[in-house]
Amino acid sequence: MWGRDVAGLRLTFHLAGINNQNFLMRDEQTGSYWQQISGKAVSGPLKGSQLPFVHSDELNFGTWQSEEPLGTVLQDAAQYRSGYAPKDWDVRMQRAPTVIDFREHGLKGRDLMLGIQAFGVRRAFLYDQVIREKLVQDHVGAEPVLLVVGADGQSVRAFRDRIAGVRGAPDFYRMPGDQPATPGALLMDASTGSEWNFQGCAVSGKAKGACLEPVEVLKDYWFDWRNFNPSTTIYGKK
Amino acid sequence: MTGELRRTRGISVAILSGCLALSLICVVYPFYVIWPFRAQGARELAIALVVMQFRSAATLVSVAAAVAALIFYWRAQPRRWRRALATAGAVFVCVLAALARVNIYELMFHPDDRPSFAAASGTKLDKDEKVIAVKIGGTARAYPIRNISYHHVINDVVDKVAIVATY
Repeated sequence: MWGRDVAGLRLTFHLAGINNQNFLMRDEQTGSYWQQISGKAVSGPLKGSQLPFVHSDELNFGTWQSEEPLGTVLQDAAQYRSGYAPKDWDVRMQRAPTVIDFREHGLKGRDLMLGIQAFGVRRAFLYDQVIREKLVQDHVGAEPVLLVVGADGQSVRAFRDRIAGVRGAPDFYRMPGDQPATPGALLMDASTGSEWNFQGCAVSGKAKGACLEPVEVLKDYWFDWRNFNPSTTIYGKK
Repeated sequence: MTGELRRTRGISVAILSGCLALSLICVVYPFYVIWPFRAQGARELAIALVVMQFRSAATLVSVAAAVAALIFYWRAQPRRWRRALATAGAVFVCVLAALARVNIYELMFHPDDRPSFAAASGTKLDKDEKVIAVKIGGTARAYPIRNISYHHVINDVVDKVAIVATY
């Protein structure tokens, strides 16, 4: 997700090409071409410019709706509705061929990854592994990071593993059971004994009211992530 | 006089051929490079994008030069079938100029120029449908993936911030 205000212009984008199955956008105002995954202009008058980053999450609708009951949802454009994908689009796409392949770490081109570009490095996590583990405590560069699976068992968010006023990276634990004592609580930390929800906010305990800093996670296929992030490391792989 | 006509014909044919070649390159090369079922090299992609940047102007110049060359050719060439062949070449240059103004991807992937939004409570989506969610200021918005995976690009404004949602 990117901002559209660049160099004093408000840009309007169209899908206008493809670069190894990651699409290129053209802006109407200058005719520059922008890479979708990086938000960077790769050709044209604005070449080298960077779109401002906007934080987003990929979530299940039910999870999002419970967090944002007053939110609004993009509606179908009636004339194109018949062309829309089924809801398991990303799973179906796993069978589609790729034009590039990186046979590394035993990964297949269409394996779904959760990619993080932060703290000066790139790190990827196999989506299925994160879903299995439910809570991943890792480092991205030198920074401790948490990946948390939501109660729906499919949505994932990442946070900086730092609590204001607590030295070092606190240990977090997944709350056992489906019915936590505090509604919405998913995690507990060992440093303050607080309970934390999927939005990364403490809902009980000493830290109640505090929130962890979100870290952007990009759900992407391995071939695409690796192509645009050649220096990536992978969680659990040497 | 005959030598003069022969030289005019030769120059006209050379210009027409050059225009045809230039226009073909402007249309075919980017189409070949940015073909979804082949890998794109960094250098060829950069060249293709530069060609796309300038091909509207280049093909316009090509059309003007081809038409001028055709006029001179007609004056210097009495044989009908050769005139017809030169005319076909010039018409092809015009067709290529029109094609150079079309981006096949912008035709294939229909943009949602007027995205509309409704309250989450009134939206019929399954609980397990995936959405891309954004919150800016106090405004939360969700883009269902089954929708945005078709349009791929949604130009939007959320809480007065212009954004582009992509998938």
